[in-house]
Amino acid sequence: MSDRKMNKAEETGTKVWRSLGQLEDTPQFREYLEREFPEGSAQIETEEDREVTRRSFMKLMGASTALAGFGLASCRRPESLIVPFAEAPEWVIPGKPLYYASSMPSAKGAASLVVTTHEGRPTKIEPNRLFSKQGGTGTFAQASVLNMYDPARSRDFVKAGKTVTRGEFEEFAKELSADLNKTAFVFGEDNSATRDRLVGEIAAKHSGSKFYKYEALAGEGQKLANEKVFGKGSAVIADYSKAERILSLDADFLEMDQQGPVSGFYNNRAVEGPQYDQKPDKNRINRLYIAEGIFSLTGGMADHRLRIAPSQIVRIAAAVAVELGVSTQVPAGALGEFEQKWVKECAADLKAHAGHSVVVAGSRHSEAVQQLVIAINQKLGSYGKTLKPVVTNSGAYGKLTDLLADIDSGAVENVILVGPANPVYDAAGFAAAAKKLKNLVHLGERLDATANAASWHVPAAHYLESWGDSYAADGRYTVVQPMILPLYGGVSELDLLVALLTGSKLFNSITEGAKLSPAYKEVRKTFEGIGGAGDAAWTKLLRDGFSDKGAYAAAQVGAADLSSVVGAAVAAPTVEALEISFLADPSVLDGRYINNAWLQEAPDPLTKITWDNCAMISPQTAKDLGLYEKLVQLEPKGKLYGMVDVSKPNAPVGPDGEGRDRAQPVIKVVVNGAELEIPVMVAFGQADNLISIALGYGQGYDEHNELGLSTEGAANVSQVGVNTGFNAYLLRTAETPYIATGAKIEDLDKRYSTAVTQEHHSMYGRAIAREISTNDVEHKGSFEKQLEGVKKQGVDSHAPPNISLYKQKGSSTWHDKYQADEHLFDKRQQWAMTIDLNSCTGCNACLVACQAENNIPVVGKTQVAIGRAMHWIRMDRYFAAVQKTDINGQLITEDDGHGHQVPVYDESNPEMIPQPVACQQCESAPCETVCPVNATVHSEDGLNTMAYNRCIGTRYCANNCPYKARRFNFFDYNKRNPLVHKNLYKGPLGEKQVGEAPHLQRNPNVSVRMRGVMEKCTYCVQRLQEAKIKAKSVLKNKSVAAGVPSAEVSVSDAEMRPPVNSVRVACQDACEAGAITFGNIQNGDKETVVRARDSKRNYALLNYIGTMPRTTYLARVKNPNAKMPDAKAIGKATISMH
Amino acid sequence: MANFFPRWSNLVPFQIAGSVACIALGVAAGFAYYATPKAQRVGYQPDQPIPFDHALHVTQNGIDCRYCHSFVEESGHANVPTADTCWKCHQHVQTENPKLEPLRAAVDESYAGYTGKPIEWVRIHKAPDYVYFDHSAHLNRGISCVSCHGQVDEMRKVWHDKSLSMDFCLECHRAPEKHLRPLEEVYNLKFDAAEYLAAHPELGIKVEAGEDAQLALGKALKEKWSIQPKESCFTCHR
Repeated sequence: MSDRKMNKAEETGTKVWRSLGQLEDTPQFREYLEREFPEGSAQIETEEDREVTRRSFMKLMGASTALAGFGLASCRRPESLIVPFAEAPEWVIPGKPLYYASSMPSAKGAASLVVTTHEGRPTKIEPNRLFSKQGGTGTFAQASVLNMYDPARSRDFVKAGKTVTRGEFEEFAKELSADLNKTAFVFGEDNSATRDRLVGEIAAKHSGSKFYKYEALAGEGQKLANEKVFGKGSAVIADYSKAERILSLDADFLEMDQQGPVSGFYNNRAVEGPQYDQKPDKNRINRLYIAEGIFSLTGGMADHRLRIAPSQIVRIAAAVAVELGVSTQVPAGALGEFEQKWVKECAADLKAHAGHSVVVAGSRHSEAVQQLVIAINQKLGSYGKTLKPVVTNSGAYGKLTDLLADIDSGAVENVILVGPANPVYDAAGFAAAAKKLKNLVHLGERLDATANAASWHVPAAHYLESWGDSYAADGRYTVVQPMILPLYGGVSELDLLVALLTGSKLFNSITEGAKLSPAYKEVRKTFEGIGGAGDAAWTKLLRDGFSDKGAYAAAQVGAADLSSVVGAAVAAPTVEALEISFLADPSVLDGRYINNAWLQEAPDPLTKITWDNCAMISPQTAKDLGLYEKLVQLEPKGKLYGMVDVSKPNAPVGPDGEGRDRAQPVIKVVVNGAELEIPVMVAFGQADNLISIALGYGQGYDEHNELGLSTEGAANVSQVGVNTGFNAYLLRTAETPYIATGAKIEDLDKRYSTAVTQEHHSMYGRAIAREISTNDVEHKGSFEKQLEGVKKQGVDSHAPPNISLYKQKGSSTWHDKYQADEHLFDKRQQWAMTIDLNSCTGCNACLVACQAENNIPVVGKTQVAIGRAMHWIRMDRYFAAVQKTDINGQLITEDDGHGHQVPVYDESNPEMIPQPVACQQCESAPCETVCPVNATVHSEDGLNTMAYNRCIGTRYCANNCPYKARRFNFFDYNKRNPLVHKNLYKGPLGEKQVGEAPHLQRNPNVSVRMRGVMEKCTYCVQRLQEAKIKAKSVLKNKSVAAGVPSAEVSVSDAEMRPPVNSVRVACQDACEAGAITFGNIQNGDKETVVRARDSKRNYALLNYIGTMPRTTYLARVKNPNAKMPDAKAIGKATISMH
Repeated sequence: MANFFPRWSNLVPFQIAGSVACIALGVAAGFAYYATPKAQRVGYQPDQPIPFDHALHVTQNGIDCRYCHSFVEESGHANVPTADTCWKCHQHVQTENPKLEPLRAAVDESYAGYTGKPIEWVRIHKAPDYVYFDHSAHLNRGISCVSCHGQVDEMRKVWHDKSLSMDFCLECHRAPEKHLRPLEEVYNLKFDAAEYLAAHPELGIKVEAGEDAQLALGKALKEKWSIQPKESCFTCHR
């Protein structure tokens, strides 16, 4: 269908419009800005005040320019103003970013961060490289900055659903603080030393006060087992840097279920060393075994992956334990022949590397699995080597079940919820229990189900707005430092605790913003006990963001208690009694990021679905349940999503059912007496008879929801989170928090539109992603031989070399014999990037970081569905079927009827290879030659640049790009809010979003593109220019250092280069795996990127078409164990690609 | 059939075509003259809240540009001074001058009209949003303020002196030698290349007969400092 035709359909379909005046209260936000001006420019008295006021956002806004309307000289530009500070705060240089160290607390350990602020606005999250050399931040930390600017954030005090003044709550708090007996505090699962201290003081003052920790996906089984073996409040930190063999039992320990810092794992995965400075050595690579139900990103990295339902993990754990000599009672014999062999060889390999091996279990698994794993690790001697048990303070807190019991017994009458959890939505039984409470006080950033059900809601400050402290994943003490005063006057957790402890007035950041908050004083007091008193230690902590002192203490290792293992075995799921696995979602986690548009639009790493969740089943299960045909055909509705709910069975549909016509069949899942209607989707590599459902979605629907669901919860979400996904918490009970058995499904014969960015079943034939094995591979030879062959996979194996008939004068990289022409070739810098597929897990951190750095708009579900997502990085994910092997490890072939033996492939357990693809910065770029207005041209330093102001939107360039790396602004996504129903199609009448809070996140050094403009990755050109401009001061520095007039100084090209490895791009910074290297190839092999490009694994995408990309990829290396039954099939997923 | 059209009407199409052509030319010429930055911007001289006199401060009092525009060598933006910068001198000098009332309102707490609100200066020079001009990059490589802003040191009330159009930028990027000078002289708006060369024979820069001293100096510096201004789009647009 042509675009024109489709637009017409949209216009005529317009019916209902949604008013967002309340949520998008723009005038109110502006009023905040106005009111803060005078305060911002107030006098600064003391040095300490300076510390606070320099973070005062409103003051810094004074430096920005305000538009002052059209003057009489209307031929000229409108008059604009320059408003410098009345009194300059220290450090602020207009136009220069400032960086502050902070950390983002989380249940898995705080991420130590460096936050970029522009004129007082935090705009970008970077890893703290002082804390960890390899760094990386992960997806959630990258996206967290958007949460701060969420215009739907809660900004008012609410009493039983009615907005009240701050004073009313303060009165209530004062009253409450007099007697905190029978009052319960519920915190998040993160640890904070200051919180622990304040809690201790409250408990000392009011002996009847109670304290709990709760998050929906905290892994109670693991905690329980750790507590029994290592003592109260203990945790175990895994150290993969010493682990040569790793067995993961359904633990996504690289992404969603991190159990310690992950950089060690990736360092051990590097064939040429993490700095690419060693000879390729297959012996330095670790080996990862995993047994899991659904493909996790860790599973994608695994060398051997066993597909098994999560309920059966306990059998695998017991079998491994038995192999290693642990006496246990689970009938391991229930495993099949293949599984038995798998376990035997895996256990033997772990044993052979005892002390350098580790077994990790998913935190979601039962105590029985955890105890077995502890016993296994004790046999392997992992504790003290690859595992570090530590004591945290969380032993002082109760669990949710304790809280519910205490409410029941009447020991608790008031509950104060201060954590990120949303128990009314995500905890079974809490909503009912809450009715018995006198007061339910909720401190939160958004008006969610709990906020709306609570008797009091207090708007919370974001972590970028508050003082606090936490502990990192490796147990080190970190500080949480605010970048800005709370945008909407939110209250920080510590401020609330202090007010309740002392009965003092709640700190009001709007009126008292120039003063130090109580939270600051408390954190400082805590740190005095850790790092000592005095300004020197404190300022060092603020500068570094962490302290070497105050880390968790080591815990004593006790004996594993295997008593719970008895009776832990569960029957394997069948088609009649399916198993459900509840998962944390890579986009919304446990539901807390439902209002984060960046995360919602980031495609799910496995299914590539955006803005929704689905029930996922394996292809075989789909066949068994009779859903397969429907899933394959994906019958189109004939119209664009959300328009008219009419089925047109014969409308045309693409081969994959991609695009606007995609509509998933809807099923009803029944388990535990609860039922849920949810669309269903095929997930490859998933265990059979297993349904996997991500939690956290379906928090509220409005009248535009497609299935006509109840709009009761509409007030619990913003326009971002509304109508997204389905609430699987409804199926979850306290007894079956992660795995439920005995489920049934019913086909509802309904369809639900989904926006899926990619549903490729195979690699479309081209050897774009490449993989080799450390083992010998049939016809391809040894590891060394395979290394040599990386560049010659696919068409490159037989395509003749490209000889250009047109001898382009210029770059020596094109034609050696031509001397480089300075006009086209900059001798100072030539930029290049490599992406190492051997460490890339496909986690989306780079994609979100790119979005934050480059002002990439969100387009909404309808636009994603029709292929208009704007992400500059496309996270491709390939599934590749592996050849079948028999139990003895022999490859299975069959006769093709012509006397040839051909391989038999097993599609049920494919390999997964993620591959981020952005603009490849071709030296000989096809896009450049077709632009009629020269809007995309080559730069002297090897970039394929975009002059956005020149682009007229012909889209010829995108048409001519072999990598599909260009994105087009079909609408003014930045100006018109794409999340308002059909807003984009209203033209000038549509709702605008200019000047709203998310625009404060924009990077001022990158153009915001408008409608009709093509855009794409330009290697973060703003960062490159900044580095080059910084290098220009060399002349002044040299002249001053030598004490001679500048005219006598000469400067060489080499001196004008930014220092080696100093320039880092946004995606590279975000990558926890260190998969992306970037740099100046003119620096020679001092530069990491040059060494990576020299690797034998280095290859260019579609090399044979002669585009000479500057971004190259490094092939993935699988390290199979030759004794495993599937060893011969591993590591050659891409071998037959063309 | 009667002759509907009189004879003179035969010429009408040509007359119409001629008039249209003239009008089109006129519009084009008018646009070219009046709608370009040269006509639109040059000469813009708005009233400022405080009639700050650059000639007085720079030429008579000898204050360096960087005393007020303090971050110009560090940052892309040439900052306009904060009110407390002015106050450093003006708490002692001309304290009762009524022209300085906006300043006192911003910083002087003892002043009756004190508000603490920053002074709102009217912007004169502005690059479009899609242009990323960087002051530090130019000043640290020997381009003086005067090249783009004119003789600000002689302006009693600042006006927009140069067009600052893309053409203007490119002209210099193609021939930087016309503007390059030693770093020490960047903020000397009265710099004269011939005088400088005469005073610094040790540089060994010879001026050929008939050659411009600035060109000779500029060429020498360009060579020595490896000045390679770029003309590709991404230099300014990103």
